[in-house]
Amino acid sequence: MDLETLKSFEWSVMTPEFIILGVAALLTLLDLFLPKKMDRRILGWIGIVGILAAILSVASLLNVESTSILDDSFTFDAFGKSFKLILLVGSALVMFLAISYDAKEGMEDYRGEFYYLFLSALLGAMIMTSSGDLITLFIGLELLTVSSYILAGIRKHNLQSNESAMKYVINGGISTAITLFGMSYVYGLTGTTNLFEIANKLAAVTNGQQAYLLGLAFLMIFVGLSFKLAAAPFHMWAPDVYQGAPTPVTAFLSVISKSAGFVIVIRILISVFYNAAPTDNGEGILFKMHDYLAVIAAVTMIIGNVVALKQTNIKRLFAYSSIAHAGYILVALTTMSSNLLYSIWFYLLAYMLMNLGAFAVIQVVTEQAGSSKISDFAGLARRSPILAVLMGILLVSLAGFPGTAGFIGKLNIFVGAFYGTPHYVLAAIMIATTVISYFYYFGIMTQMFFRPASDERKLNIPFGIVVVLLVAVVGSILFGIMPNIALDFLNNLH
Amino acid sequence: MSSIPASAFLALALILFCIGLYGALTKKNTVIVLISIELMLNAVNINLVTFSKYGVAPSITGQIFALFAISVAAAEAAVGLAILIALYRNKKTVNIDEVDTMKN
Amino acid sequence: MEFVHEGCQAPCSIKGIVIMMENAWLIPLFPLLSFLILLLFGKRLKEASAYVGILFTLASLVYSILVLFERFSEPTYGTNFEWLTIGDLHLTAGFEVNQLNALMLVIVSLVSFLVHTYSKGYMQGDERFPVFYAYLGLFTFAMLGLVISPNLLQTYIFWELVGVGSFLLIGFYFYKEEARAAAKKAFIMTRIGDVGLFIGMILLFWQTKSFEYKEIFAAVDAGEISTSMITLTAILIFIGAVGKSGQFPLHTWLPDAMEGPTPVSALIHAATMVAAGVYLVASLFPLFAASKTALLTIAVIGAFTAIFAASIGLVQTDIKRVLAYSTVSQLGYMMLALGSAGYVAGVFHLMTHAFFKALLFLAAGSVIHAVHTQNIEEMGGLWKKLKLTGPLFLIGTLAISGVPLFSGFFSKDEILAAAWEGGHPILFLLALIAAFMTAFYMFRLFFMVFTGEARGSQKHVHESPANMTYPMILLGVLAIIAGYVNTPWFGTFLGDWLVDGNEALAQHGHIEGPVWIMIAATVVSLAGIYLAYLMYYKRSLARNWLSGTGDTLHTIVLNKYYVDEFYQLTVLAATTAISYFLRFIDVFLVEGLVKGVVGIVQGLGRAGSKLQSGQVQTYGAVAFIGLALLVVIFAFTGGYLR
Repeated sequence: MDLETLKSFEWSVMTPEFIILGVAALLTLLDLFLPKKMDRRILGWIGIVGILAAILSVASLLNVESTSILDDSFTFDAFGKSFKLILLVGSALVMFLAISYDAKEGMEDYRGEFYYLFLSALLGAMIMTSSGDLITLFIGLELLTVSSYILAGIRKHNLQSNESAMKYVINGGISTAITLFGMSYVYGLTGTTNLFEIANKLAAVTNGQQAYLLGLAFLMIFVGLSFKLAAAPFHMWAPDVYQGAPTPVTAFLSVISKSAGFVIVIRILISVFYNAAPTDNGEGILFKMHDYLAVIAAVTMIIGNVVALKQTNIKRLFAYSSIAHAGYILVALTTMSSNLLYSIWFYLLAYMLMNLGAFAVIQVVTEQAGSSKISDFAGLARRSPILAVLMGILLVSLAGFPGTAGFIGKLNIFVGAFYGTPHYVLAAIMIATTVISYFYYFGIMTQMFFRPASDERKLNIPFGIVVVLLVAVVGSILFGIMPNIALDFLNNLH
Repeated sequence: MSSIPASAFLALALILFCIGLYGALTKKNTVIVLISIELMLNAVNINLVTFSKYGVAPSITGQIFALFAISVAAAEAAVGLAILIALYRNKKTVNIDEVDTMKN
Repeated sequence: MEFVHEGCQAPCSIKGIVIMMENAWLIPLFPLLSFLILLLFGKRLKEASAYVGILFTLASLVYSILVLFERFSEPTYGTNFEWLTIGDLHLTAGFEVNQLNALMLVIVSLVSFLVHTYSKGYMQGDERFPVFYAYLGLFTFAMLGLVISPNLLQTYIFWELVGVGSFLLIGFYFYKEEARAAAKKAFIMTRIGDVGLFIGMILLFWQTKSFEYKEIFAAVDAGEISTSMITLTAILIFIGAVGKSGQFPLHTWLPDAMEGPTPVSALIHAATMVAAGVYLVASLFPLFAASKTALLTIAVIGAFTAIFAASIGLVQTDIKRVLAYSTVSQLGYMMLALGSAGYVAGVFHLMTHAFFKALLFLAAGSVIHAVHTQNIEEMGGLWKKLKLTGPLFLIGTLAISGVPLFSGFFSKDEILAAAWEGGHPILFLLALIAAFMTAFYMFRLFFMVFTGEARGSQKHVHESPANMTYPMILLGVLAIIAGYVNTPWFGTFLGDWLVDGNEALAQHGHIEGPVWIMIAATVVSLAGIYLAYLMYYKRSLARNWLSGTGDTLHTIVLNKYYVDEFYQLTVLAATTAISYFLRFIDVFLVEGLVKGVVGIVQGLGRAGSKLQSGQVQTYGAVAFIGLALLVVIFAFTGGYLR
């Protein structure tokens, strides 16, 4: 590859990545050279400006046709555009949370790192949305993962934060190894790491032994990646890590990291395994494996919702709720309906809005209370009626009630379960576990509205939280009432 | 070059992977746990290099992949150890089974 | 978002001219804004909340009037966009301005505006003043939204929302036991109707693959639905209307709903929401018109309700209850009109009734405001003390009694003509008797409240403040003149306009009845008034000259034909009869099942929670075991499960 080829690439499609990279580098340097006493929050604001610039650049690139550069290892297509927007908007909201975050102890001197690590993690996620190569996918994944390890442990002097990061590293390392092991078999069977070439070569596989090996590779990759999704069987780290990590990081893990996990799962599953080793009637390996996916989806939904009932810590509760939501999205993945991408994208969008909004409230309440018990929400309606009402709306959306984005998201997936080969059992489990979820979501409601407050202090709501709540609530209602805005947007992408 | 069949290398990698997994899931010392994870990643590298030589369609890409995997593993290990040090400062232990303040 | 322009088949107007109708969706938005503002800042605004509500409804009113005037010269405007798409399932949302709902928009926003103004005086000093205005805003939003909905699904959503608004407002004085019970009763009774509406709607969707009115009518027109199915769906939808419009046998909630504040009774339980049932039947009229059976059902229920409720109204002693039963009765009239294929007659009466009944309620509110009682036995001689309210109440009474030259006369006449020409002589007779009763009990009410000696403890009786009287004066003017838009003497402007450009409705336009009907109606109403005059003003006839002879009959009527008791009794009997059976199921099946499920769920939760030991290696092990299980299954099944 000489200079001419390099110059011939359309580098402009990578502008969003370059912006994030540049801002992250800038923040690193600023953090190093700015006087020690200076408030590092300014870095957060620069980060937000950077993310907004990246959003604008994605928006300006929306009409660009699908482009592949760097020998197809970077593909800028509709999939990349749509998921990048979710990641960027979500990260901007998380940054607002981070700026408003004021831990009592443990991170006085590391506030600067806080902001650029978010950006480097975001960069990893963004690379994943666009990569067309196993190697870049893996690098993106690890960039995200390693950054999140540090983020989880950023409160260096806080034992829970340390513990959370340690557990995250160990589980993450194991999952990385398993994923890579699976990938190495895929490479071995094709001799290439380019996803399109892999797909082409695998479509020609007829050898039974090779198909068998491919099945094993599929299971390993999927189980390894289920770590990122916080789905069964790799879900158990989530509650502990979520509880110990600083609240903005928890929000980041539960939304951005999970969305990125679905991005890589979709990329690999759809482009690698969809047509791989077809049987005589042309069904790829993915169709033959979808009973395994169905089992994983069902187990994830059941575990997430059932164990959530027993929780007394709000962050652990939301960890289980995020496991449950991963289960719902896996239902969409299992059924492989024609509107698979739309239903997953819409669900992630809705989930991003409602979950980040909920975490904004959680951050305010837990910071004031100094603990994260659910009972700290008691009497919130008295202490701050507006906060309680907004949280109520978000909870209703998380529970999936009509009129909210959460409802439309679930409806899409539910209806999708009846396309093609109907998955009655899976649909039934989805309904049943959704009903179970009402209990814990409305448990929080009960605390907020019907329990006397143990702490009568008024809550002060920082500006960043206001922004997040506004975007979250307006979005949750808007997409609940006018869902086709999102569909039209997605349909108009090239 | 050699008469050693590809399956031998693959078996070695699998065994190494299992040893690593066993270590990661049973050892008490967190340092050993981290090293065991490195073993698992190294098993992957053996796989990749084997396939790049003896695979269905041998190519250099496998070795490149292995290089990336090595560097990422190094980064992961560095971060892991750093976190362990921070944990040790607060808890004065490196025993992984004592790290269980958050549960249920 | 792609907007599909419809209703532009004929020479389409130049773009930009229908600017008002294009933005008709703003009309319901104003009250919604008022609701949201009051919800957020009501506590801070306190009594100033009234101005927020008044201003926003005024905006709606002005806009509605502009839209109405534009609609006079332009064709129907409608617009739709895809609201929800899931695979092949396309649901649309949008709005439409046709003759019927352009008229309804003005009626609803006008009455709502007047009630907003009136309430400023009436609710003065109430602790939850801003909440009251917030609820009013919510209700107005829902009602206006209901009116401009172009499809059944959207209608249904707003239909329920209107019910919520009504529930909140009936139970506004929630510290009163009766108010709570009334709110609950209204909720349950209308819900019974809603179930019918819902099933009908789903059946129609199943048959036509659309919720759009246009598509449904097209399918009916093209004969794509069997006649029996049309009848079934039409009657199911009519059940919804029966619940909302308080028709027999689901009427009992409406009189109880008078526990709400009086302005609310005027807005919701007289002029707008209860008319929603009539409106629903009117807007789905082509569907109903396709089934003779459905029309007959409506006509019979309507006529029966008209006379049934009127007879109960004869003996009530609570001023608001008398008006409530008269509302039920008048709604019956409208149903009778629609059932006799008198589309114009029904809509016409809906309009005039909205004005004079709102007037009557507001005037009644003014009386209650003055004397602090609702019992007419404790009133009397108020004519001299309430110099404005008295004459205004008289105007309303004259209008509802169908005295010539007042608005009610023309619309009632049109209904009677429709019933006669529709070939229902018996129903015609019932309606005529009901008209007599109406005139009688309304004047009974008037004479007892405003003439004779002051009874009870009346102290400091004073006329209401200006912001209460002005709305009444405006309604009084409308109660007189609203009838002249559609008369056999000066032209049938309203009737012609309502069916203009709509073939399905054209044959149900203005009905020119024989002249003797008009004379009969006049005679009957004057007779009713005269009888009331003799009994309650001159007192030359003993008040019990009739009830004395038929004591039992009087008791029966006084107790509203024991319908409530009948419900209680039958429900009670049914409950005891099957309670053993139910209890058996409950104890042995349901409870066992529930306990089992709860036990399993909780057990699973406990187990999952226990497994979460805090040991990171356990987590890794679980993941590994999961992977191993999958691989083992994969290996043993030789690859794939299927």
